[in-house]
Amino acid sequence: MRRLLTRPETLVPAVSLVVVVAIFICAPPVTGADLTRFDVYNALQGFAPLGLLTLGLGITMIAGEFDLSVVGTYALGGMVAVETGQSSALLGVAAAVAVGAAIGAIQGGLIAKLKIPSLPVTLATYIALLGLTSALSGGLSKTYTNPGATFWVDKTVVTVFSPRSLITLAAFVAAALVLGLTKIGRELRAIGGDRRASRVAGVRVDRNLVGLFTVSGTLAALAGALLSYSYASANPDPGLQPLVLAVVAALLGGVSLTGGRGLPFGLLAGALSVALLAQVAAITSLPDYATQLLYAGLLVVVLGIDAPGLRQAIDRLLARSRARTSLLADASNQAGSVSDGTTGLS
Amino acid sequence: MTTENDHRSDAAHSGPAPLPSSGQVGGPTAPGTRRTGATEPAHGSSSLRVGQIGLLEVIIAAVVVAVVITGATTSRFFSLDNARAILASAATVGITAVGATLIMIVGSAVSLAIAQTATVAAMVFLSTQQLGLGVAIVLAVLAGLGLTAVQGAAVGYWSANPIVLTIASGFAVGGLATWISGGSTIYPKVKAYSSLNATPLGVPVAVYVLAGVALVAQWVLRRTTAGRQMYLIGENSAAARAAGLPVGRVTAVAWALFGVCIAVSGIFLASFNMSATSSLSGTLTLDATAAVLVGGTAIAGGKGSALRTLCGVVLIALISDLLLLRGFSTGQQLLVKGILVLFVVIVVHLSSSRGRR
Repeated sequence: MRRLLTRPETLVPAVSLVVVVAIFICAPPVTGADLTRFDVYNALQGFAPLGLLTLGLGITMIAGEFDLSVVGTYALGGMVAVETGQSSALLGVAAAVAVGAAIGAIQGGLIAKLKIPSLPVTLATYIALLGLTSALSGGLSKTYTNPGATFWVDKTVVTVFSPRSLITLAAFVAAALVLGLTKIGRELRAIGGDRRASRVAGVRVDRNLVGLFTVSGTLAALAGALLSYSYASANPDPGLQPLVLAVVAALLGGVSLTGGRGLPFGLLAGALSVALLAQVAAITSLPDYATQLLYAGLLVVVLGIDAPGLRQAIDRLLARSRARTSLLADASNQAGSVSDGTTGLS
Repeated sequence: MTTENDHRSDAAHSGPAPLPSSGQVGGPTAPGTRRTGATEPAHGSSSLRVGQIGLLEVIIAAVVVAVVITGATTSRFFSLDNARAILASAATVGITAVGATLIMIVGSAVSLAIAQTATVAAMVFLSTQQLGLGVAIVLAVLAGLGLTAVQGAAVGYWSANPIVLTIASGFAVGGLATWISGGSTIYPKVKAYSSLNATPLGVPVAVYVLAGVALVAQWVLRRTTAGRQMYLIGENSAAARAAGLPVGRVTAVAWALFGVCIAVSGIFLASFNMSATSSLSGTLTLDATAAVLVGGTAIAGGKGSALRTLCGVVLIALISDLLLLRGFSTGQQLLVKGILVLFVVIVVHLSSSRGRR
């Protein structure tokens, strides 16, 4: 148990969630406002699209990839759902999800078969999808005129939930089950940790990557579709903010950008942390810049945990202060880093 | 086309070979992949490599021919006014893109804090107008340089992940800018900047600056020790570190120069808009990154050149202009731009002999 808790993929999300929940409970009394059920409901409403994006982005990050296009698929999914779902909401969601899955599959295919790094590919797709969304709507937001669906996705279930937030939670549970009970979870971490070795060990890297990007495209399109139903309109350009918040959530969820680390429940905790923080900012009417500085601070903490060079520097500093034979310790440290470097060469 | 060809073969030599000779057509021999640290046998035998570069050139020639043919059938495309318009629209993004080339070559991939940094430089520039144009420019450039060099130092010395770092910096810089400016628009009382909006010989000052910045960046990359080391570090940072190269310092220098470029873009944005708000720089981050990628710089580092980025900038501006003249919407232009970036990324990747995984 202790070992489980000290691993970064459980420690980081656990700590961040505990801290944020504490802030969430303490902040309203400090500022004189009351914490109501409605605040929890609102935080979960914010969590609904963020969680789906975080899950999609997070699982690609576990496998050592980075799907920047999720925010483009998110925009396109919202637009497609509104365009096709005016009469039947379900049809709109189905169309959006199909489009998202197709985009993800194509990207995954390119990345896996041609062995291209995912960042430039998904950046290009992001630009193209933003253009496609804008071309579909003529650059304007599109109104969704189906009040039934708008009402349904946001109706209160069990005091604090809504169908939207329940769908997101269900997606996390499904991901946790699939990654936890089948070998897929281990395979993803293996692909992210050492792709060459996992290929040699018989992991079907290509198939996994295509599946992964398909899932992330599907989740992003679903998030966009449900959000545009909730707003009763689709926005052709959501900006980079949703992506950036999803990255923050994924990193707080214990995923590392180098890949090979992370769990769905960690991602859930990360997404909940960010959603709760956003709600705290709303309750306490924190100015926008303060929220931004807060996110910057959070990321710097995560960065400190993740930066190998900084860790080495700190380790060296600690070793120096701890050991009396500081010179010796330092020398052996340096020798270690040099021999690391040479193995990288050979 | 000649210069572009020259620089493509230059880039092919930019591996660890200390003195690239111009006749040789061989890929870099030693580098392994950055991700695994292992090496793949250099399967780029010279004939294969020539064939692949030939393919790349054929494709690029096809794109150029397509643009020319479409241009010839579009009214007003081949006119002096339109050429000026294309150059003017390319200038601001281009200056930042040239800087972004340096950090992509050194292996730091991309910065997601470009727009915020440019905005801060623009705000500094406009709020110091009463001190005179020269002082305002120096202060704005120092702001951009300082903000960006700190990030470069974190990436270089601590191996901090550039994506997370620049997202964090974007938040921090944007937040600070809003805090200090109080979220209001800056309208300067003194208009020292107006000379930057001049158009000597009918071309905006920014275009001349873009040309100058590209030449200087190209010189730094090709002729200075730091520039050559940028390629080596981008190719294989572990090997560069083991070989005793000053990885931290060179990375920080690349980022500092990048910061200067961002600040110059910010200055021109401010002069053009005559005011600065927190949303001044808009899509600068994506536009600049797209231009670098279309120029054929490899996102993993170690390959690319400032002049190729310049070609990328002009190509994007050309195509956008063509689509605009033909009456396509902004969305459709963006769609074409995205597909172009994707296309170039794939072609550049396929024509490179490096197996990445």
